[in-house]
Amino acid sequence: MFNKPRSLFFLTCVIISSLVLNACGAIKVTSTPAATATQAPVSTQAPVVVATDTPFAPANKNITIVIPEDPPSFNAVIAYTGYDAMVMKMTLLGMTGIDPNGKIYPELAAELPTLENGGVVQDESAGTMTVTWKMRNDIQWADGKPVTADDVIFTYKAITDPNTGTWIPGIDSVDGVEKVDDYSFKVNYNAISTSYLTLFGGEQVAVWPAHYCDATQGFSAWDCGRKPLSDGPFVLDEWVQGDHLTFSKNTNYYDKGKPDIDKVTVKIVPDATVRKQMMINGDADINMWTNETVTADLQKESSVKVSISPNDRFVMRLFMNTAAKGTTDATAKPHPILSDVNVRQAIRMAVDADTISQQIFLGFSKPVWTEFFRPPYNQCNITRPKFDVEAAKALLEQAGWTDPNNTGTRECHGCKTGAPEGYKMEMQLITYKEYGEPILLTQQLIAEELAKIGIKLDLTTVEGSVLWADSKSGGIEQTGNFDIDLWDDGYSGTDPADFISQYYSKDAITPDNGWNIARWDNTDFNNLLTDSYTLDATKRQSDFCQMAQILDQQVPMILLFTTIDADTYSTRLDGVQSTVNDVVTWNIADWKVVK
Amino acid sequence: MATYVTRRLIQTIGLLFLLSILLFGMVNLAPGGPLAGQGQSRHIAPEKAAILKRQFGLDKPLPVQYVIWLTGNDWMKVDTNGDGVPDGIGTRKGILRGDFGFSFRTRQPVLNEINLRFPNTIYLMSITFIIALALAIPIGILSATRQYSIFDIIATTFSFAGQALPEFWLGLIMILVFYAWLKNPFTGAPLLPSGGMSSADSFVLSDRISHLILPVATGALGWIAWYSRFLRSSLLEILPLDYLRTARAKGLPQRLVLYRHALSNAMIPLVTLIALDLPYIFMGAVFIETIFAWPGMGRLYYQAAIDRDYPLLLAVLIIGAAFIILSNLIADVLYAFLDPRVRYE
Repeated sequence: MFNKPRSLFFLTCVIISSLVLNACGAIKVTSTPAATATQAPVSTQAPVVVATDTPFAPANKNITIVIPEDPPSFNAVIAYTGYDAMVMKMTLLGMTGIDPNGKIYPELAAELPTLENGGVVQDESAGTMTVTWKMRNDIQWADGKPVTADDVIFTYKAITDPNTGTWIPGIDSVDGVEKVDDYSFKVNYNAISTSYLTLFGGEQVAVWPAHYCDATQGFSAWDCGRKPLSDGPFVLDEWVQGDHLTFSKNTNYYDKGKPDIDKVTVKIVPDATVRKQMMINGDADINMWTNETVTADLQKESSVKVSISPNDRFVMRLFMNTAAKGTTDATAKPHPILSDVNVRQAIRMAVDADTISQQIFLGFSKPVWTEFFRPPYNQCNITRPKFDVEAAKALLEQAGWTDPNNTGTRECHGCKTGAPEGYKMEMQLITYKEYGEPILLTQQLIAEELAKIGIKLDLTTVEGSVLWADSKSGGIEQTGNFDIDLWDDGYSGTDPADFISQYYSKDAITPDNGWNIARWDNTDFNNLLTDSYTLDATKRQSDFCQMAQILDQQVPMILLFTTIDADTYSTRLDGVQSTVNDVVTWNIADWKVVK
Repeated sequence: MATYVTRRLIQTIGLLFLLSILLFGMVNLAPGGPLAGQGQSRHIAPEKAAILKRQFGLDKPLPVQYVIWLTGNDWMKVDTNGDGVPDGIGTRKGILRGDFGFSFRTRQPVLNEINLRFPNTIYLMSITFIIALALAIPIGILSATRQYSIFDIIATTFSFAGQALPEFWLGLIMILVFYAWLKNPFTGAPLLPSGGMSSADSFVLSDRISHLILPVATGALGWIAWYSRFLRSSLLEILPLDYLRTARAKGLPQRLVLYRHALSNAMIPLVTLIALDLPYIFMGAVFIETIFAWPGMGRLYYQAAIDRDYPLLLAVLIIGAAFIILSNLIADVLYAFLDPRVRYE
């Protein structure tokens, strides 16, 4: 017979065991001995500090940050979820950082190497360069050991290890890194690298401690990526997977008197509604990356402030396939509708980006019509295309797309794309579902707007992992199996060249070799792109502006508007500044608790 | 019985093998893949994608990937540095030897990831399960013995509601009421925490209990509704039977008639049902764990599915499948154990 007391005893044992296991589940990080700084500080260019001094000294200087998922590790290079960068910035320094205005500032570096100060030496005939970095000599790891050039070289070797390493932007141009002395090293380039300042810094890359990390475990999987030894403002105390991470002030941090905050708890709260309510209830002090709706809601709360990045990064775009659907060679098999530049221009004229931005994105978006809209390369004089439905219709008429039977959908009657006579202007518009409701509404609105000019769109929603997968995995874009796609993208850092190359260069047309999914090829553009890889800022600006002109005329892609980059924070805090160039904790050492 | 159990266990091995092929194929052949943009990048740079393909083993044909996943690659030469030439022996042991590989997302061994979440799920779900049973059985009995009474009507109404209300909605309503609206009259703080396993650095029993109330209540409601309805129906079928009438006619007290003779028979199908639900205790509940920020297996599975973290996803699926098969076996054995009329030859 079923023995109830015994079964209940068994289940009780299970619960007690799980409670015990639970208590053992956390990664407890052994605190490292703090050492006294022994070297005098070196004067450096200070990063932007936005906190203001307050006369108060609140008793509780502990804060809570809420994020939806665990950071994969403290190494943002590996998965780049943003949450890894967030905790990395709290604990580890790179050679440089990028402030919200796009200005690169030194972290471990004593100064930024430039042509002017002799830190960068070009060999113009060979097309190579050498960069000599000088490091601060007053920065130590939390165990008291100094951060030196050996750590940078160790990091470089770990990244480039053929067996266990990975790839970071700009690393292909590097031939090697040599130690000059304990606090300086030289990077030898086999090409001109325009992003050399962020090779070992910026948003993703930190310098790792050679004496602490086990190189044999590999850069991607080493234990120090989950239990880092800090040289940043905080040290990790505990990581309970899926629940929380706790950090305390690094008493060995080089910037004495900072950070102001004693303890940071990063809580993992998957549901966005709950994160919002925690901000309202005062149980969270930072809600990282809030979307348009949550930002608008929290703006109304007296205990919550919103920080919006002064610059934008992600832009909502329409990607148009100029090759026939299911193919990747636009010359051999042009798209029956989109291979005509007049059609692409007409579509651009028929989409009302302002209405979408105001009504769906709640006014947090700004219209964008050129790739070169971010400082420092936002100097090109590209006129914003007009929203003009009638002009769009006229352009389609001229291009041979008419609607003689008034069916509402245009047909090819003399069109120049090679489409058969009578071919209907019917296409598929695909977007990805992870962005949520705003992108779905945008997709519907665009379909309605294009219907007004006689283009019928069939709407499809897929997962991002299906849309962007490699061709072998059946990725929709890499296999060319689409007409028009709608999604958002933008580049990290301040140099647009690699991003532009990946979307518009000839090399990137080949499947899995880049993301020129428009399969758009323009010789003049390619030449300008190649020329733009120069350290001559004036020439770069000129090249970029000429490229902007070509993109404006040829319309291989339609840029619509920016998407929000905002963080919400408690009024207890001062100094929080959202940025598209980094994550919110980029300046956590400067934050102050004011209530 | 022993022969039957042995035969079922042998069948289980064969079934798991077939399932492993099916699951591996389904996960890998689904459109999309793990190299489609991670985190902030919509795309992975081609250079990085090539390295990841090699490190993840995705550069090999699917049947080879399956064999390596099953048996490891420490018996074959592999190209570790990407120059196209095999240069060393692999290090993977394969799931047959307990090596489920490493997570694509965290690069940590899959079993480590599971071990960190598994106790949390058992902790939450077993308490939920016990509370659900502790409430469902008396409710079921009372509803059956007082059919059409006010209690029965109320219990029936709540049962239908409990079965109909989706967990994700109920969970959010619970948070709205007990975290956002209702406050502790003495401290002004929310009446109950919104989620997580604890808010204290050290173990405080009251803190742990307060964090359990909302997820347990949300999870238990469905089970209470389901089990109490099941027991009520089962008892209502049994109570009018002749053998119970005979027992009452012989002067046996009603309590004994009900608990010894009626309930023991009515519980047989319920116990089978409970045994089939056992995998939930081990595999967790995605919605409850997500809404209440509970770091359990359900959330781990969901995250792995979103990230296309194949090794982690496959490990959770295979372990889940094994639990389901074993639960079925336990249900069958229990059925024979509880009902002497059932014999397996």
